[in-house]
Amino acid sequence: MEISEKELIIKAQAGDQVAFEQLVYNYDKAVLSIAMRFVRDTDDAKDIYQEVFIRVFRSLKKFEFRSEFSTWLFRITTNVCITFKSSKKEQVSVPLQAEFDEDNKEFGKVELVSDEKSPEEESLSNDLQTFIGNAVDSLSERQRITFVLKHYEGYKIREIAEMLNCKEGTVKKYLFDAVNNLRKKLKPLSAFQT
Amino acid sequence: MNHNEFKQMIQLSLYGELSDDKQKKLISHLESCEECKLELEQQKSIMMLIADHRNLEVNEELLKEARIQLRGALRQERNNRSSVSYFTNHIFQLFSTPPRLAFAALSVLILGIIIGSIFIGRGKITAPEKNPELTNASMFDNDLRISNVQFIDSDPTDGEIEFTFEVAKQVHYKGSVNDPKVQGFLTYAMLNDQNPGSRLNSINAMDTYKKLYLDKEVKNALITVVMTDKNAGVRREALKLMNRTAFDESLKQAYLYVLLNDSSSALRIEALNALIEANKNGHSLDRNDLDLVVKQANQDDNNYIKLKSKTLLQEYN
Repeated sequence: MEISEKELIIKAQAGDQVAFEQLVYNYDKAVLSIAMRFVRDTDDAKDIYQEVFIRVFRSLKKFEFRSEFSTWLFRITTNVCITFKSSKKEQVSVPLQAEFDEDNKEFGKVELVSDEKSPEEESLSNDLQTFIGNAVDSLSERQRITFVLKHYEGYKIREIAEMLNCKEGTVKKYLFDAVNNLRKKLKPLSAFQT
Repeated sequence: MNHNEFKQMIQLSLYGELSDDKQKKLISHLESCEECKLELEQQKSIMMLIADHRNLEVNEELLKEARIQLRGALRQERNNRSSVSYFTNHIFQLFSTPPRLAFAALSVLILGIIIGSIFIGRGKITAPEKNPELTNASMFDNDLRISNVQFIDSDPTDGEIEFTFEVAKQVHYKGSVNDPKVQGFLTYAMLNDQNPGSRLNSINAMDTYKKLYLDKEVKNALITVVMTDKNAGVRREALKLMNRTAFDESLKQAYLYVLLNDSSSALRIEALNALIEANKNGHSLDRNDLDLVVKQANQDDNNYIKLKSKTLLQEYN
């Protein structure tokens, strides 16, 4: 007989490891997916994934069924994403604010700015995906998580508002600002596309 | 309604989040507004540009790795919890009942002394030997240490203050390594002591006796040390001790974790050897485990590990 989620949670709260593991497995792919799209790095995504479920483990006893378990879990996930600091010391830094010459509409000529350019970094400068990725990464954490949840994960604005614990209007504002910022940053590419 | 509001409505419309009546309003507006028509085209263009770039599907292998690492982290979390309770349970068993009561009484006295000193001595704590009541506590050899006094309410105007503090006492204990109390201390030390030498000594102390019985707590602690201790020497000693205990699923997961994640090739080799040895003794690996070994065989920069992993895999082909 299949056990309900509520029963699983109650068992996990009482210390049942199997029940806790089952709860994790019900949602962990979705958590890892959000993390992957938020940080674009498998190691960082695994760090976020681990932190989320450790926090769930620590605070599950305090969960009082006032919201859906999934809402509570994804709220933790978005919190961890927003506050996450990568432990990787060396990262390719690509400032996006002022590197474009308005006349430079040809994508191949766009140069990414970094302190020291290795051959790999040079090749990255020709990578459309990397460029767009960096533009998304340059959004503020809240704009980025909102954008990732809406644009790539397809959650409803109402659901995102529950996850971020804010009003729907605030989510719409984050999303609107995120897309506007992306438009500014990707202006040369959209000109190239059209 | 101004253009900015229509621009936001355009975005919501593209995401399918606009209510029917607002959608109608937007369509009607677009028929007569060139600026918003252009805005719609630009928003569509940007949406298309960024539509698929984060095509980062979570594959099963990544999920499996994340789950293995999570299992290790959760094990450590549980051990930390249970070791603390194990430790606190046993430390009180070391005291016979009368000293324990005296200990509690002394704590109350010390609390009184500190409160008194704040009101009378302007913050100076009265020297314990000058307080006649304190001599009743001489059974503690004056080696109690008070530390970390934290004020919750330091304002005396209402006649009360509130604070917390820690009392530590050095304890001398001698017993068999198979004594659960001793194992409790060693377990606590190997997991929590700041000094790597002490952690190492705690593990080695358990390794001294050939007829060693490790209970589940200790075994879990060893697995945690193997997977998480920052010191490679400590991890290695824990791995050696682990090798002497009966092979089971939790040990297999720990060996696989070390094989895939440990920065020390010596430890990865030890883990691989343990898996090979277990295989010889009839503890075969399942499909998921083999996938992980294949991964290691392909990516490890140590040729011995590559070769040995492939040898192990050949036995399954």
